[in-house]
Amino acid sequence: MDEKFDCIIVGAGIAGLAAAMILARNNMKFLLIEKGDFAGAKNVSGGVLWGTDLARLVPEYWKEKDGGWERFINHRRLTFMDEQSTFSLDFKSSHFDEPPYSGVVVLRSKFDRWLAEKVQEAIDESDYAMESFIATNIKVDEVLMEDNKAMGIRTGDEEFHTDSVIIAEGVNNLLSRQVGLQDDYVPADHMLTGIKEVIRFDQKVLEDRFQLDGLSGMSNEFVGYATDGVEGGGFLYTNRDTISLGLVAGIKDMREKEKSPHDILNHFKEHPVIRDTIKGGEVVEYSAHVVSSGDKRVMPRQLYKDGVLLCGEAANLLINAGKAIQGMDFALRSGIIGAETIIKAKEQGDFSSRTLQEYRQALDDSYVMKDINNFQDAVHMLHSPEMYRDIPNLVCDFGRTFFTIDNQPTQKSRKLFSASVKKHSSYWDLIKIGFKGAKSL
Amino acid sequence: MKLLTLSERLGLVSYRNQAKSDIKPHIRVDTDICNSVCPHKCTTYVCPANCYTMDEDGKVHFQVEDCIECGTCMYACDQGAVDWNYPDPEIGRGVTWNFG
Ligand SMILES: Cc1cc2nc3c(=O)[nH]c(=O)nc-3n(C[C@H](O)[C@H](O)[C@H](O)COP(=O)(O)OP(=O)(O)OC[C@H]3O[C@@H](n4cnc5c(N)ncnc54)[C@H](O)[C@@H]3O)c2cc1C
Ligand code: SF4
Ligand code: SF4
Repeated sequence: MDEKFDCIIVGAGIAGLAAAMILARNNMKFLLIEKGDFAGAKNVSGGVLWGTDLARLVPEYWKEKDGGWERFINHRRLTFMDEQSTFSLDFKSSHFDEPPYSGVVVLRSKFDRWLAEKVQEAIDESDYAMESFIATNIKVDEVLMEDNKAMGIRTGDEEFHTDSVIIAEGVNNLLSRQVGLQDDYVPADHMLTGIKEVIRFDQKVLEDRFQLDGLSGMSNEFVGYATDGVEGGGFLYTNRDTISLGLVAGIKDMREKEKSPHDILNHFKEHPVIRDTIKGGEVVEYSAHVVSSGDKRVMPRQLYKDGVLLCGEAANLLINAGKAIQGMDFALRSGIIGAETIIKAKEQGDFSSRTLQEYRQALDDSYVMKDINNFQDAVHMLHSPEMYRDIPNLVCDFGRTFFTIDNQPTQKSRKLFSASVKKHSSYWDLIKIGFKGAKSL
Repeated sequence: MKLLTLSERLGLVSYRNQAKSDIKPHIRVDTDICNSVCPHKCTTYVCPANCYTMDEDGKVHFQVEDCIECGTCMYACDQGAVDWNYPDPEIGRGVTWNFG
């Protein structure tokens, strides 16, 4: 293959597939390279794909009978956890029952593969049906640079040439480092290990236990005891006949507190409330993957340079401010914007950073960078000991006294609350946290 | 529900090129650094696949076979001992997730 592509995309995760879909629809000649056996083979998420953007890639995807997704969220829960108890904010609404759904539960090995089939269909309908490709089982070893401008990629001793490269390699971003947009060593400070089990149930049991109807689904985030004193949080999402149960835990914090992620996962599973929730289930997969925190300090210096764009978690585009992890929807949107920028660059015949900086601009104007910028305080707060330790303890302590009826004179809630505050914190700390919280949300 | 041990958990993972005995390791660890200057030896507990182990003499060893390509050790090691890469699809090991 001596011919030059308009674009080579590295990585068939959500960012790469989203970019590929837009390129195919706009009759661009491109190569999408994935090192896994198939798209999704190497990918792990919790995972809920939040928002409605999926319909921009595959319009009315929900009409497909057996598509690549698991369930549609109509029930959300945020749970504070101490050693014995859980105290939850719980919201369920038929408002979420109509398409376009705003939360789609996915298992990546199936979902990415399905999305890749859709991209292939779009390629087949494009002007370059025979000249654009999705190539799997190929690892890109190097982005080839000439005069500091990307002009191709190398895999083994084979080279492919192109006008532009979209690096959509995910969080462990070796190529982003090689092209000089990210430091060679990224410290553990704002990085977490995500770890999870997929647990299978009899489908009827699953539906009854989680009050699911048809393809409705539940998402549950956990703060507190779930992570055994380490910064981070837990999650539980319902799939068709399995659940994804797991957590994210700060790598630096584990290093300092001498904790192992697999032990923390067992600690979480042994909590009495979780134990009841997963009773009778069978673990069918154990997985782990690094995940960003949403802290901007870890992001690459810039998201473009001559001939190159970084999309998705390769650019650490993610936010986790407690109520949800948003990495996949950010990957999807940044992939779309990245591809749109490449299309424009081709029209203008200029793939230098002069044109490609429009990617950064469009991303800054989108909800992706707006949310990352606006919620930095919330990210810091979620990763502070107050949030993963003191507040959950306080809330659960209050819950325990509030819900206890023991044939004694009952105290007014305010008094109960004040006793819980004294035990786990102080009013002054609480005011400070409340102030920080109000500011950050 | 019974808790699983780490080896039971790893038993559920589908590895690539499992039949090949002569695989090319995708991660190289300079264990001289581990065993001389590293104050915490944290990879021996933060690796979710237990690829880094410590023997009775407190010496760190690394074996790549069970690695699930998560990336944790690349960040956790602040001593410069970990040379991290993705496995080669043909001659490396690495994972293929069934669920993901
Ligand atoms: C435990 C856990 C729970 C999570 N939960 C959620 C959630 O509920 N909701 C949410 O939105 N996000 C969640 N996330 C985050 C989310 O998974 C990521 O942000 C998202 O997958 C990023 O997508 P991406 O396309 O940028 O990268 P990835 O999905 O990582 O895809 C990158 C792709 O590039 C390929 N690749 C990399 N390097 C090369 C190379 N050199 N050559 C060829 N191919 C290459 C990889 O094989 C992979 O297919 C979670 C993450 C974890 C770990
Ligand atoms: S942290 Fe680095 S130097 Fe220390 S034991 Fe682990 S790999 Fe070796
Ligand atoms: S990449 Fe993950 S599984 Fe592999 S050795 Fe490093 S920490 Fe262990």
